[in-house]
Amino acid sequence: MDSTKILIVDDELIMRESLAGWLERDGHEVKKAASGEDALEMLKTVKFDILLVDMKMEGMSGLEVLKRVKESDPEVAVVIITAYGSISTAIDAMKVGAYDYLLKPFDPSELGMLIEKILHFQAQARENLFLKEQYKDRTRYENMIAQAGPMQEVFDLITDVAPTGSTVLITGETGTGKGLAAKAIHTASPRAEGPFVVVNCGAFPEHLLESELFGYQKGAFTDAKTNKKGRLELAHGGTLFLDEIGEISMRMQIDLLRVLEDRIFYRVGGTQPIEADFRVIAATNKNLDEAIRERTFREDLYYRLNVISFTMPPLRDRKDDIPLLAEHFLLRFSQETNRHIDQISREAMDEMMLYEWPGNVRELENAIERAVVVGKTRKIIPQDLPIFHPEHLDATPDNSLMEIEKAHISRILDDNQWNISKASQVLGIDRSTLYSKIKRYGIQRPSGPSGA
Amino acid sequence: MNKTQQQKVIISPIGKRDDELIELIGADIESVFGHKTETIPLLDSADFAFDPVRKQYHSTPILEKLAALAPSQAMKVLGMAEDDLFIPILTHVYGEAQLGGRACMVSTYRLKEGLSLSASGDAYQRRVVKEAIHELGHTFNLRHCRDSACIMHYCHTVEDVDRKTGQLCRYCKVLLEDELNIFSKS
Repeated sequence: MDSTKILIVDDELIMRESLAGWLERDGHEVKKAASGEDALEMLKTVKFDILLVDMKMEGMSGLEVLKRVKESDPEVAVVIITAYGSISTAIDAMKVGAYDYLLKPFDPSELGMLIEKILHFQAQARENLFLKEQYKDRTRYENMIAQAGPMQEVFDLITDVAPTGSTVLITGETGTGKGLAAKAIHTASPRAEGPFVVVNCGAFPEHLLESELFGYQKGAFTDAKTNKKGRLELAHGGTLFLDEIGEISMRMQIDLLRVLEDRIFYRVGGTQPIEADFRVIAATNKNLDEAIRERTFREDLYYRLNVISFTMPPLRDRKDDIPLLAEHFLLRFSQETNRHIDQISREAMDEMMLYEWPGNVRELENAIERAVVVGKTRKIIPQDLPIFHPEHLDATPDNSLMEIEKAHISRILDDNQWNISKASQVLGIDRSTLYSKIKRYGIQRPSGPSGA
Repeated sequence: MNKTQQQKVIISPIGKRDDELIELIGADIESVFGHKTETIPLLDSADFAFDPVRKQYHSTPILEKLAALAPSQAMKVLGMAEDDLFIPILTHVYGEAQLGGRACMVSTYRLKEGLSLSASGDAYQRRVVKEAIHELGHTFNLRHCRDSACIMHYCHTVEDVDRKTGQLCRYCKVLLEDELNIFSKS
């Protein structure tokens, strides 16, 4: 995983600055908010891993910030910073969901160890989620259902690159099927009989990714009780799929570059060079050109990966495929749920054709699943679809699809009390995509009661 | 101004000056960063940064002053003090640096911990040299490193300082090379 995003919330400038300076030197990406109100505003558009919140602030208290944050994003870890003598309020904070508290001024080692602990915990949660998704994907090839147009170009490219053995970089938005395209390349290649090994680079913190990729020797670290093969070794004779490559740390980029250049690596704690023969396919939804400019991604690694590259088209650019995909999902979900729904009304299809599908095929799949569950007749009507809102009927012809998308996202956020996790599930997009859309469209959270 | 001057790192003792230590630090700076050093005392004392409540010296304003006072042609400036340093949120620091900036400093105050009077000055000097290189590394945009043997490893205790080597790990070497390349191009 890339550097940790930390938000410091403290009304004392000197405290914010000194903590931010230390955390930056420790390799984290740090933002600062001078009040609870500012912090909540920032949280609308930026996703943080950890919040360090001072308990006693002018205006909104740290406890109130904690409560509000936990309502909208239960996954973010909030650490309360408090002075000696305020331990009872720190304990109150733990009761409402703070991860931990620190008494200031704190010993530098306390802070470092606490951040390590949080990152480890969050990484495990991400890995679990990834494994669940991967399990579901075993039976999902719907992203590759297409009849013509942009996807045909992708199919042609896959056919051309599969036999070459070259490194491939696949770009594209979340939900467009980058993983399935990688699997298709592997299956159509001479390595099809070999393993297809997936590494979700975004799911691991740096040190775990290192041992996942390279394996380790017994005794390399405290928990290394036996030798363990890394995924590079497991991919021998097959294909290594590096998903979310844009998320890896600078150190791992240096290691990967060396592996791609020499095809030789060492297990963690090992001295024996290991040679493995595998093809690399990498994927990302990040703009790597931008990451290179920001110096978060190495240019030399980019050129090494970008031997052949293509972009998976978003669903809005291949709307001709929507009827085919929708019929496919309808059949699947009506069979799975034993409900006799076998048609899609013309009006419902019109709605689907008009919609922008920010979550791509995954969002369409969720929409049909919901429609099958809530549908009252044999035919899906617009009202059964989560993308349908009566105000669309009043939309003037001047309303662009972007405006409709903005209105839809705002509504789903409001319907879910701005709970980002829930809203992103309904929309069928991941949380970071939702955050970037909120930012892009400038969607504002309605100011509710202060609750202080 | 010539190129040699441009690429010098200034070592600036604050208060008492230890020439032997300065020489050792200078040699390591040249070997790790490839730049020569020059000793210029820029501050007589750090009293302006003294906090009477904490009875410690706030390192951040000292860095600001060093950066402002260093000759314009100097590449970086490393302050050396004997005072107990802090930043407001932490109980103490061995040193501080402007990440990717111009100034850094190291304090010898806490690096004497655990050393008996009879112990050789070598152990103490090695600690100071390591922490000086560590802080200077930050000004070249290097962050803390997970490798406990790397000089950019963050040390919680003097024992941690003793355990780490005086060298950059292979990752930090590459990152430093990148940074020096950018610097030489600019």
